[in-house]
Amino acid sequence: MMTEADYYALFEAYSNGELAGPARANLEARLAADPALALRYADFAEMTGTLRAYGQRQQARQQLRGIHAAMLAADAPEEMAQPATGLTHTVNPMLRISRTERKLREFWSGHRATVGVAASVAVMAVFATLLGLDIWRSSKAQAPASVQWMRREINNLKQNQRAINRTIRRMDGTAVPQLPPVNNGKFGGTGFALTSEGYLVTSYHVIKEADSLLVEGRDRQRYRAEAVYSDKAHDLAILRITDKRFTGFGRLPYTFKAGQADLGERVFTLGYPREDVVYGEGSLSARSGFEGDTSAYQISIPVNPGNSGGPLLDAQGNLIGVINARQNDLEGTSFATKSSYLVRLVDSLRNTQSTTPYRLPKTSQLAGAARPQQLKKLQDYVFVVKVFE
Amino acid sequence: MSRGNPTSSSLTPTDDALIAAIRGGDERALAHLYRLHWPMVSHFVLQNSGTEDDAQDVYQEGVMVFYEKVRDGSLELSCQIKTYLYAVCRRLWLKRLTSKSRFGVRLLDDEEHGPYLNTGAEEDLLAAEEQDRRFATMSEALNHLGEPCRSLLEGFYLLDKSMQDLTAEFGYTNADNAKNQKYKCLVRLKKLFFAHYKEEPI
Repeated sequence: MMTEADYYALFEAYSNGELAGPARANLEARLAADPALALRYADFAEMTGTLRAYGQRQQARQQLRGIHAAMLAADAPEEMAQPATGLTHTVNPMLRISRTERKLREFWSGHRATVGVAASVAVMAVFATLLGLDIWRSSKAQAPASVQWMRREINNLKQNQRAINRTIRRMDGTAVPQLPPVNNGKFGGTGFALTSEGYLVTSYHVIKEADSLLVEGRDRQRYRAEAVYSDKAHDLAILRITDKRFTGFGRLPYTFKAGQADLGERVFTLGYPREDVVYGEGSLSARSGFEGDTSAYQISIPVNPGNSGGPLLDAQGNLIGVINARQNDLEGTSFATKSSYLVRLVDSLRNTQSTTPYRLPKTSQLAGAARPQQLKKLQDYVFVVKVFE
Repeated sequence: MSRGNPTSSSLTPTDDALIAAIRGGDERALAHLYRLHWPMVSHFVLQNSGTEDDAQDVYQEGVMVFYEKVRDGSLELSCQIKTYLYAVCRRLWLKRLTSKSRFGVRLLDDEEHGPYLNTGAEEDLLAAEEQDRRFATMSEALNHLGEPCRSLLEGFYLLDKSMQDLTAEFGYTNADNAKNQKYKCLVRLKKLFFAHYKEEPI
C-alpha cells in the first residue's frame, strides 16, 4: 500500500521526466483508469505549480523593487543602455523632474482647488476691507457737510428771461430806460461796508473761486471790487472797491463790537437772498457755532442762500457778526462769525499794512432809533456781492 | 494555454522587441520598460489624489500583471504596451480609490492615452486577482505549516535550492531522507492549502 507521500515521489519523478519507459506507461495507464488518482495528481500539479509561481512572483517583485530603487537613485536618468534586443531608439524620453519640483507638483496637484479658493477669498477680503474702510471714512467725512453755506447760485435762465422781457417791453416803447442786461455772475452773497474808504466785509466762501467781483448797492450802482484779504478759518473776506467812480461811503451808521454779545439778545440782519433787500430778525440762541465752534454764534434768524456775508446787528445797532451758514438737519439754526474776529483781523491788517487806512467807525447812529429808522440808515451800506468765475 | 505572441499592427517594433527580450529573461529589458512608462502612471496617480508611494504600488502591480503574462506567453496585446499598462494601472487605482472613498470616484484621464477600454486589461486583471488569491492562500498555508517543513518547501520551490544543499542545511543523513521529508511536508501543505482555498467563495 502506497502512502500519499510515496505517490508524491512518483508524481515528481513523472513530471520531471525521470521515470523509465515501462513505469511511465504504467502510471499513465493508472491515471487514465483511476479518477481518484488523477485528482490526486491534479492537486499535486496545482500545488507545486502554485508554489513555483509564488516563488517567481516574489522574485519578480523583488526585481521590480530593485529597478524602482535604481531608477530613483539615478534621479537624473542617464541614457539607458539599449537592451540587447536591438532597440534602435527610446520610445518615450524620460521626464526630467527634480526632487523638489516633484514635491511641488505633488502639492500643487493635490491642493490646486483649495489654493485657488483661498486665494480668491483673500482677494475678496482685501477688496471688501478697502471698500468698507472707504465707506466708513466717507461716512465720517459727511458730518461737516451738514452745514450749508448761504451763498446763492444765480439762476441764469431766470435772469435771461427777464432780460428778454425787458427788451420786448422796450420794443413796445412803453419801457422806462433800463440798465442793459448784463451777466449777473455765478454766485451771489451779501456784503457790508467796513470803513468809509471803500472796504467791505463778506464771507470767504462767497468769493473763494472768484475771478472778478461786482458790488451792487440799493441804488443799482455797480462797482468793481477786489479781495484784499481772506480768512479761511473764520470764513471772512475783506474787499476793496477799485472803481474810479467810487468816492466813498460817507460816515458809517454802525459800530463794530469787539467783545461778545449776550445770549438772548434781539438781533437782526439785512441781506440779498433775492433781488431785493430782505430783513430778518431773531435772537442770539447760542454763543458757539456748528459743533461747538467758538468763533461763531448760533442765531434764530431764518437765512437763505444769498444771506451769506450779511451784517448781524444787535438792537443798539452794533455789528456783532457776519452771517455765513445754516445747519441742514435742524430747523432755524443759522450761524454767524463773531465780530470780535473781524475786529482782530482788521487790527492785524492795520499793523502789517500801515499804509492803508482802516478807520472803523467809533459812534453808532442807530442806537435808540426805532427799527424802520435803523433800517433806512443801514440799507445804503449793505450790498450784493456778485461773483464771476 | 500558449496562444503565441500576437503581431498586431498597432504594436510598434520596439514593443515587440521588448516583449521578446522580457520573455527571454532579459532583466535590462524589464528595467527599461519599467522606467519608460513610470512617469505616465506616476503622473496619473498623482493627478488623482494619490501619493508617490501609491503610484509605486499600483505601477509595480501593473507591471507584474504584464510581466507574468509575458513570461507564460499568454499575453494577447491588441494595443501598445503603454496603453495596456495605463489601462491596468488605471483599473487598479480606481479599485483602491473606491475602496478608500465613501463617495463616487471620478478619474482625471490623460487624453493622450486614448482608448484604454477594450485592451483586454479587465480580463487579465480578473485572472490576476484569482492568482493573487491563490498566492495569498498559499502564503497562509505555508505560515501554518510550521518548521522545518516551511523552510524546506520554501527552499526547494521558492528559492530554487537543490536537494543536496537542503540536505546539508537541514542536517539530513542523505538526500533520500530529505526528499521523503519533503513529500510528507507536501502532503500536509496540500491539506492546509485546499482546505483554505476551496472553502473560500469565489
